[in-house]
Amino acid sequence: MVTKTVGCPKCKTHIEIQGSPGETKIISCPKCNTKGKFTFPGEIKKIDAPSGSFSIEIENLTKKFKDLTAVDNISFKVRKGEIYGFLGPNGAGKSTTIKNILGLMHMNSGSIKINGYDINKQGVKARESVGYLPERVAFYPNLTPLQTMNFFCELWGVDKSIAKPLIKEVGLEDAINRKVGTFSKGMVQLLGVAQVMIGKPPVYILDEPMGGLDARWVKTIREKIKVLNKEGATVLFSSHILSEVENICDRVAIINKGKLIAEDTVENLNKYLKIKPRLEISIPGLNGKVPEVVKDIEGVEKAEADNDILYVICESSSRIKVINALEEAGLKIENIKTREPSLEEAFVKLISKDEGGA
Amino acid sequence: MLGVNLKTIYTIAKKEFLDNIRSKWIILISVIFIILTILSAYVSGGSGDEVFGGLEATVVSLMSIHTLLIPIIAILLGFSTIAGEAEAGALSVVLSYPVKRVEVLIGKFLGLGSVLAVTPIIGFGISGIIIATAIGGEEGLAFIVFIALAIVLGLMYLSLIICFSALVKTRVRAIAAGVGLFFWAMIYGVIILALYMGSGGQIADLMSGLESYPEWLFASIVFSPGDLNQMAVMRAFDINQAMGYSMEAPDWLSMPFLLIVQFIWIVVPLILAYIFFKRRDI
Repeated sequence: MVTKTVGCPKCKTHIEIQGSPGETKIISCPKCNTKGKFTFPGEIKKIDAPSGSFSIEIENLTKKFKDLTAVDNISFKVRKGEIYGFLGPNGAGKSTTIKNILGLMHMNSGSIKINGYDINKQGVKARESVGYLPERVAFYPNLTPLQTMNFFCELWGVDKSIAKPLIKEVGLEDAINRKVGTFSKGMVQLLGVAQVMIGKPPVYILDEPMGGLDARWVKTIREKIKVLNKEGATVLFSSHILSEVENICDRVAIINKGKLIAEDTVENLNKYLKIKPRLEISIPGLNGKVPEVVKDIEGVEKAEADNDILYVICESSSRIKVINALEEAGLKIENIKTREPSLEEAFVKLISKDEGGA
Repeated sequence: MLGVNLKTIYTIAKKEFLDNIRSKWIILISVIFIILTILSAYVSGGSGDEVFGGLEATVVSLMSIHTLLIPIIAILLGFSTIAGEAEAGALSVVLSYPVKRVEVLIGKFLGLGSVLAVTPIIGFGISGIIIATAIGGEEGLAFIVFIALAIVLGLMYLSLIICFSALVKTRVRAIAAGVGLFFWAMIYGVIILALYMGSGGQIADLMSGLESYPEWLFASIVFSPGDLNQMAVMRAFDINQAMGYSMEAPDWLSMPFLLIVQFIWIVVPLILAYIFFKRRDI
C-alpha cells in the first residue's frame, strides 16, 4: 500500500490517498467536491505475454544498407531478468541491431521476438513491453520537459502525475519550465532517461545510455539500471566503453563489423581467451628499468616498468617465481597488487582475433 | 482497415500543435501574413469613400498574399516533420512506443494542419470583421468559405511537403524539396504560358479574357494546387473580373469539381507519405 498526497486542481486542497502501485482511484475533493482520477505509479508493468524464459530472441538477423552488411546473420537471446551488455567498437552494428529489435528498421532476414511477440507481425504488442533510449536522443525544442513527459505519458497511457517525480529523479527539476531546445546534450540525455522509465516496462533497451554524461550521472544511471533490474526488469544496453558494463552485466555479447564474435559472462570470456592477471609490484629505486631476472622466468608474457612500479603479465603459477627472483636479486618489494583481467582486454583480444590478429 | 487508435492520433496531433505553434519562424510569417492581410483590405478600398474596400475587392487582393504565404507556412511546418525528426532522433523514441506509423502520420498531419489553420483564421478573420463592421457583411458567408479555402490550400501543401519529408533521408534534402515545391508553384504558370505560346497562342488573346482560352489551359490548373484554389475562391465570390481581365471559366470547373480535385491533392500525397514512411528505416 502506498500513500500519496495530491492537489485538487480546482481549490488546491491537499488530499491524501492510499492505493496499490498501478491502481487507479476516483478521488473526490472534500472541500469543493471536484472529482478526479489518480493512478498510482506502477511497479514493473505486467504484460500478458506468451510464456518463455527470454525477453529478447534474435535469430539470424541480417540488415544490409545497399552493399554494406551492417548486421550479418547474428543470433542471441536475452534471458528474463538479466542485464545484458551489447558491446562493440563504434560502427560495429550495435545501434542497427537495436533498431531492428524495436522494428524501427526493416531487417533483410531473420526474426526477432520481444516477450514472445514477433516484432514484424505484432509490433505494437511487442513494443508494449519495451522502454527505449536511443543513442542520439532528441525531443521537441519548443516543449518544456514537463510537456515532453506529459506527451510520452499520454502515449504510454499512464497517468501524467508520474512526470514531475521522474524529472526530479534525473535532476532536471530546475529546468522544468525551460524549453528543451535550450538544453545541453547531457540534459537532453537525462530527459531521455526519465522518458524511458515512464511506462515501467519489463524490458529496457538502452543504446549507449551514458554517452555524453559526466561521471556523476554515469554512476547514477548505472545505479538506476541495477535498481530496475532488481525490480525484475530485463536490461539490454550497448556501449563501446567497457568499464561502463563490466561490473553490472550478467552476460555480454561482443559484435564487430556486424558479426557476433562472442557471447558469455565476463569471467568465462576471460577464461576462454586465457587472459592472464597482471602483477603490479612497487620497488623503490626501480627508475623505470625492468630487472633482467624477470625477463627469463618461464610463464612471463610481458614485463614493463613505469618509475617505481613493475608491471608483469604472467601465468598464475609464475607469480611466486617472479617475486622470489626479485628478492634474490636484492630488490626491496614495498607492495604487490594483482589486477584481474578486464573486459577491455577480452574485448581487444577478441576483436584482434576476429580481424586476423594474434 | 488500418485499425488506428484515435487516442494516439490525438496525442500526436496535440504535441505537434503545442511544439509548432511556438516556433519563432511560424510566428514571424504569421504576423507578416496578418499585417499584409489587414493592409491589403485597407488598400483595396483606397479609391472609394470608405476606408476599407468591399469584401470582393479585398478578396482579389488577398488572394495573391494567401497563395504566396500560406504555402510557405505549410512548407516551414512540414519539411522536417519526418526527415528532420528521424535524423535528430526524436522520431525513434516515438516509434519505440506501442504506436503505429499510420497513427503518427495522421496525428502529425492533423496537428500541423491545426497550426496552419490558425494563421488564416486570425489574419483573414480580423480583416473580415473590420471590413464587415465598416461596410457591412453581406458576403460574410463567402468570406468564411474564402478562409476555409485558404486552409485547404495550406493542407494541400502540407500534405505534399509531408510526403517529401517521408521520402527523403535528411533534413537538408527536405528543405531542398520544400524550396523546389514552392518554386514549382511559382513557375508553373510560366511553364503553361510557354506551352500556350508554343502552341500558337497569342498574348493579345490572353488579355482579352478567359473565354478565348483553349480548353487544355483550363484543364492544366488541376496540376497546380494554387491555381485550383484561386479558381475555387473566384467561384465562391462569383468573381468574373479581376485586375481588368475577364475571369469567365468553363462550367465544368465548378465548385464541387474544384473541391474534389483539391481533396485528391490532400489525400494522394498523404497516402504516398504513408507508403514511404512505412518502408523507411528510422
